[in-house]
Amino acid sequence: MTPEEKYELFDRFCSNELSATEKETLTKLIRENESIAKELKLYQELNSHLDTRFTSEKEEEALENNLKAIGNSHFNRKATTKETKMIRMPAWAYAAAASVAIIFGVYFFGQSSPTYNDFANIPELSITERGNTEKNSKNAEYAFNSKDYAEAEKHLLILLSKDKNNTEYQFYYGLSLLEQDKYVATTRVFEKLYQGNSGYKYKALWFEALNQLKQKKYDQCAALLKNIPEDAEDYLRAQELLKKM
Amino acid sequence: MGNTKFHSDQKYIEALLKNDTVILSEIYDKFAPKVVGYIKNNSGDESRAQDIIQETLITIYKQAKEKGLQLTCPFDAYFFLLCKRKWLNELKKHSNNQVTINEEIVSIDDESVRFVEETEIFNAKHELFKEMFDQLGKACKELLKATFTIKSMEEVALKLGQSYGYVRKKKSLCIGQLTKLVQNTPKFNKIKNLL
Repeated sequence: MTPEEKYELFDRFCSNELSATEKETLTKLIRENESIAKELKLYQELNSHLDTRFTSEKEEEALENNLKAIGNSHFNRKATTKETKMIRMPAWAYAAAASVAIIFGVYFFGQSSPTYNDFANIPELSITERGNTEKNSKNAEYAFNSKDYAEAEKHLLILLSKDKNNTEYQFYYGLSLLEQDKYVATTRVFEKLYQGNSGYKYKALWFEALNQLKQKKYDQCAALLKNIPEDAEDYLRAQELLKKM
Repeated sequence: MGNTKFHSDQKYIEALLKNDTVILSEIYDKFAPKVVGYIKNNSGDESRAQDIIQETLITIYKQAKEKGLQLTCPFDAYFFLLCKRKWLNELKKHSNNQVTINEEIVSIDDESVRFVEETEIFNAKHELFKEMFDQLGKACKELLKATFTIKSMEEVALKLGQSYGYVRKKKSLCIGQLTKLVQNTPKFNKIKNLL
């Protein structure tokens, strides 16, 4: 067998293309000649080496670049930490740094999740000024302005039973419910108001948004805020809240 | 080894194969400090350590890619020992003076040592194969590169303006020639003796 024939046989063996007769020839050859057996083994190994090497050249390059980047970031980070450790600070500086850290912490903490209390600015109720001597009006006003919202709710409900379309009563009734965390009832009242066309339309929308905020339903809150038009009194506050969410 | 259950650290081998940045970063965070410490204690610095770590990871990748490396030992000891030996070889290569080695006491079990030796043999062969490939004639190098990159022999024949039969025959002759080159170098016998 010439070397050409031998290597052709090796090549066909590596590509799994040997016929039954060729297989027999090769097996016999290997059995009888140890050096051919060794040569075939190495030939096979080189074949597989070349195959992987040229097939994965690009992949290997990508891995090398990535490892370089990861390595650089790992070692630079370590170097920075080391430098920081070298700086000696006087004791007062630690206290100052700690205070700054706390201030920042509080600032960012507050900023990261806006709360109902940051934004709710409950207006005063004044329904008696127009010569209204109705006892429930006075009581409602007094209770509401002294933040006794349960009491205010009761009196406003009586007023509403006599004048159920009064949007002012409705609005303050809604606020009394909101301050008592009666979320569902609040929504019912404000919804009716902002679907209507009274002067309380956008006020009701703003407070309904705050009602959602209070329940940490940020998506619903944002959706409502987006409906507050530019000319509404609470537009700027609404935008501010939207930004913080 | 084939039937043994893989170690959970096989994930690091997979990460190399998939070029998974998150887990590769974990390798640096978890295993680099020990290597850096060792190299710094033995005449090296952080930048050399970074090179040794990268080269070792590439070697592991190549072995995994070509031979399907499957770890049955922890990555930690395997990786550290590979880096350490690589560094010691570098020191020997570049220094005529005797280097003092501050040996660290690292508990390394037989299984890890076996994996390390296998990777080292793989790497030595890989380097030798590359070196011998470069010694082939230009025509052989081009033909082999084309056949293994393009895969389809018909396309290779077309590209080189030769017949399919010729390209096929030439390919087997070129690998045959490479086989002889490797067999005839004393380095190959040295590697064989390691087996």
